Amino acid sequence: MSRMNSNTKVKVSMNRIKRNMRSCIFVLLSLYLVLLVYFAYTLFMYSDRWFADPGNTRVKVDMSNPRIIPGRIYDRNMLTLVETGTKTEDNGQVVFYRKYHELSRCAAHVIGNRQLGIGAETRFIKYLLGYDNNLIERVYQKAFLNREQGNNIILTIDIELQRYADEALGDRSGSIVLINPKNGEILAMVSHPDFDPSDPGKDMKNESLVNKAIYGKYPPGSIMKLITAAAAISHLEGAEEFTLECKGRTDIDGISVSCYSERAHGLVDMNRALEVSCNAYFAKLAVDLGWKNLRSTAERFGFNRDFIFEEVITTKSVFPTSGTKSTEELAWAGVGQDEVLVSPLHMALIASSIANDGKMPEPKLIHGIQRRNGSIVYKSGTKTALNTVPTEIAQALKGMMINAVEEGTGKKAYKQGIEIAGKTGTAEVGNGSLPHAWFIGFAPAEDPSIAIAVIIERAGSGGSEAAPVAGDLISRAIRLGY
Amino acid sequence: MDKKQYEILALMLRYWFVLLLICILYILLKKVIIYKQGGTVKRTTGNIPFILVLYTLSAFGLLAGREPGGYDLDVLLLGAIISVVVLFQFYFLFYFFKGIDEVLLSIVDTLAVLGLVMLQRLSPELAMNQVEWFIYGNVGMFIFIMIFSRNIDLGRLTYPLMISGIAVLVVVLLFGKESGGAKRYVVLGPFSVQPSEFVKLIFIFVLAYYLKIKRTFFQNLPLYIFAALSVILVVLHKDLGSALQYFLLFISIYYIATSDWLLTGAAVATGIVGAAISYKLFSHVRVRVQAWKNPWADIGGGGYQVAQSLIAIGSGGLIGFGLGLGEPNVIPASRTDFIFAAICEEFGILTGAAVIILFGLLLVRGMQKGLESDKETDTLLVCGCVISLTIQAFIIIGGVIKLIPLTGITLPFVSYGGSSMFVSMCIAGMMQGISIKNYRLAKAFEALDEPDELEYEGEGFNEQD
Ligand SMILES: [Zn+2]
Repeated sequence: MSRMNSNTKVKVSMNRIKRNMRSCIFVLLSLYLVLLVYFAYTLFMYSDRWFADPGNTRVKVDMSNPRIIPGRIYDRNMLTLVETGTKTEDNGQVVFYRKYHELSRCAAHVIGNRQLGIGAETRFIKYLLGYDNNLIERVYQKAFLNREQGNNIILTIDIELQRYADEALGDRSGSIVLINPKNGEILAMVSHPDFDPSDPGKDMKNESLVNKAIYGKYPPGSIMKLITAAAAISHLEGAEEFTLECKGRTDIDGISVSCYSERAHGLVDMNRALEVSCNAYFAKLAVDLGWKNLRSTAERFGFNRDFIFEEVITTKSVFPTSGTKSTEELAWAGVGQDEVLVSPLHMALIASSIANDGKMPEPKLIHGIQRRNGSIVYKSGTKTALNTVPTEIAQALKGMMINAVEEGTGKKAYKQGIEIAGKTGTAEVGNGSLPHAWFIGFAPAEDPSIAIAVIIERAGSGGSEAAPVAGDLISRAIRLGY
Repeated sequence: MDKKQYEILALMLRYWFVLLLICILYILLKKVIIYKQGGTVKRTTGNIPFILVLYTLSAFGLLAGREPGGYDLDVLLLGAIISVVVLFQFYFLFYFFKGIDEVLLSIVDTLAVLGLVMLQRLSPELAMNQVEWFIYGNVGMFIFIMIFSRNIDLGRLTYPLMISGIAVLVVVLLFGKESGGAKRYVVLGPFSVQPSEFVKLIFIFVLAYYLKIKRTFFQNLPLYIFAALSVILVVLHKDLGSALQYFLLFISIYYIATSDWLLTGAAVATGIVGAAISYKLFSHVRVRVQAWKNPWADIGGGGYQVAQSLIAIGSGGLIGFGLGLGEPNVIPASRTDFIFAAICEEFGILTGAAVIILFGLLLVRGMQKGLESDKETDTLLVCGCVISLTIQAFIIIGGVIKLIPLTGITLPFVSYGGSSMFVSMCIAGMMQGISIKNYRLAKAFEALDEPDELEYEGEGFNEQD
């Protein structure tokens, strides 16, 4: 490199340094910007969850001498499920404790328990301890009350309906979710096996503490056909008129696909195939769609998505994303086997979205908050979690689901006087055990006010095991006025 | 004060603290934006020292009443001492050295005050030590201002400093005291010194003086060896935060000075390979990465620190629990590495964001000073200073909020730690020294009727490659 500079040592160019410096500082400044944006974003999304974490010692309440008395938990009809009571010990000392209503057992996972770190007792501790109060109220309480008083929570749960659902499941493992498809309010959410929230040590079983409604991961079985159908309608021309001859064990592009009990369904169109839950037909659609189209529709319904709901934490439903999978696996993914995994809440949300012309509501558990003076602030306003499919497709799916209950596999869900739309699912689990029985649906089909997802583990076919339970619960819900 | 009175006062004062901080930010932001090169804008300290003193006294005044039954005047006294130091800086130094930058000084003091208040709340004893170090830091700053505001050539110190830097790091490797999994400290009589902090100063100095002259690859070899050795030694201390800081500091200054994409790229590649190797080799690195990916998975073990930090930050809300009302002592290392989380818990997210913005302003102001300067060394020194502080702040704040894997390092000016405070103040002094030089230069130009602008252009044309 030649230099004409007169200095003995050649200095580097000042202009160049300053130019480089500017760009370097620009990069560093954008690092700070990233830091700031991430800081704001992460706190906005997660701070409530972090606050409610069972590891947070700041919200531990010493029940022998509480500084703040935790508020009550009501069901939506203001029945007290949990409250803070006092009792006198043998030595004459007065202690506080959380007093559970006997019905709270039916909603064990929803109500939860502070020691176990689950349920509303943990999740909504911010309200129960009154941390959501404004400055004036907090100062007033500190100044004039002997012990501060937390707020009361009104859950969206209807304990009556919850009890029916709990009884319907009985001793069987599984989960039931009932939800208002319009506003996402969860009316009942059951998971079995359960536990006794007032005495967590009692009859605890292996999976007792897991709320399967939100953390369960099950193969959806034939329920997935709704999504395959939606994908076919939106991606394949004339899909609704497409027909196929089902022979019980049908050859689809070189892959042998068997239907349930190897029953031959004959010549089926989409409507008929969904009605009778024909595997061959939907395997064929899946193969024609290809991984990309099927996955994109599944993702529009919320698969592979980290749902961050304000009031409900749920696990991610999985649709396989690997690009190296075979066509055979694709065929089985199209009928809800392979590696497709879903949670019952997500299935109830999918039913809600079909009921709701494609709009998936954000699930809610808090109906309202009652302040110290008795005034209630209702949490109104519905949030849409996802826009899944256009109205026409949702309507088409709805029509097929009505037929499935009237004449197809969902017949046992049929109730006189209520038009129920639904889809059964029978998810093979292997190991020679009985399949999981699924049913999702909603009613009344005209103007849906209740959506449901039922899964009974290793119980048999969805049509014979889950459908009657769902039909019963829907009619009870409607009789209760939903 | 009785406990309830204290709680009520602390609850209400949250708003006051946020308000004061916003005022400071507003004034600083305005000054940074309307700043004109050459310093023609009137230099005033404005209301900042006043607001800072108000902040300090109200925070310490509140904390003085924290223990029920009585009012602890010692605490208030400590607050008064800090206020005096701040006022001394603003009025005495300004009088003594024309051209000191008020924005830099304000940022440094605001951060230091925040840190001291938090330390007083976390552990009064440590706060006492830290105030002491803040005062020593001011002396260090004063000395560095004296040195760097003069036109003396310190070039011949380069090699001795390089050798002593390496020697010090070797000493730490041999005799260092382990703390928190890393060998960071050497015990010297009553003091526990963190030499990697002091080597940072050497690093900034050496880079600036070595790279001001254009050299060939072989002539640059001693510098490469020095840089590589320091990074490797610090990695051997298991002090990953400092290692990352040295490394990033080296490549950015090297690139700025030489525009040498090839070697910078090679260094980055080496760094990535090195990181990958250390991930495979050292279990403590893997634990950090796991804890970053999902701290909740192993909340009782590797993820504990980050999870507790997030819980604390998430608990505070916008304006915090109120000073003294949270439980920041639950956060591991809440006095040193995790002090940002403690601040967010009790002063709120707004104050946390203010800390990030303050560091951002420091960066912009540093750039303005570097652009003003007419000497290569000075520009490179300022670059070294701001980049070093920026990287350090980013590494630790990013780690605490789980943006990047956590590597333990102090938050400059805020965290507890004598070495960190002293060295950070020295770095600030270096920048102030150069700011004073710039001021004198601008005055000299003003004295001439027509500034001689051709000087720079001539040099620019000579550049050809
Ligand atoms: Zn068939």
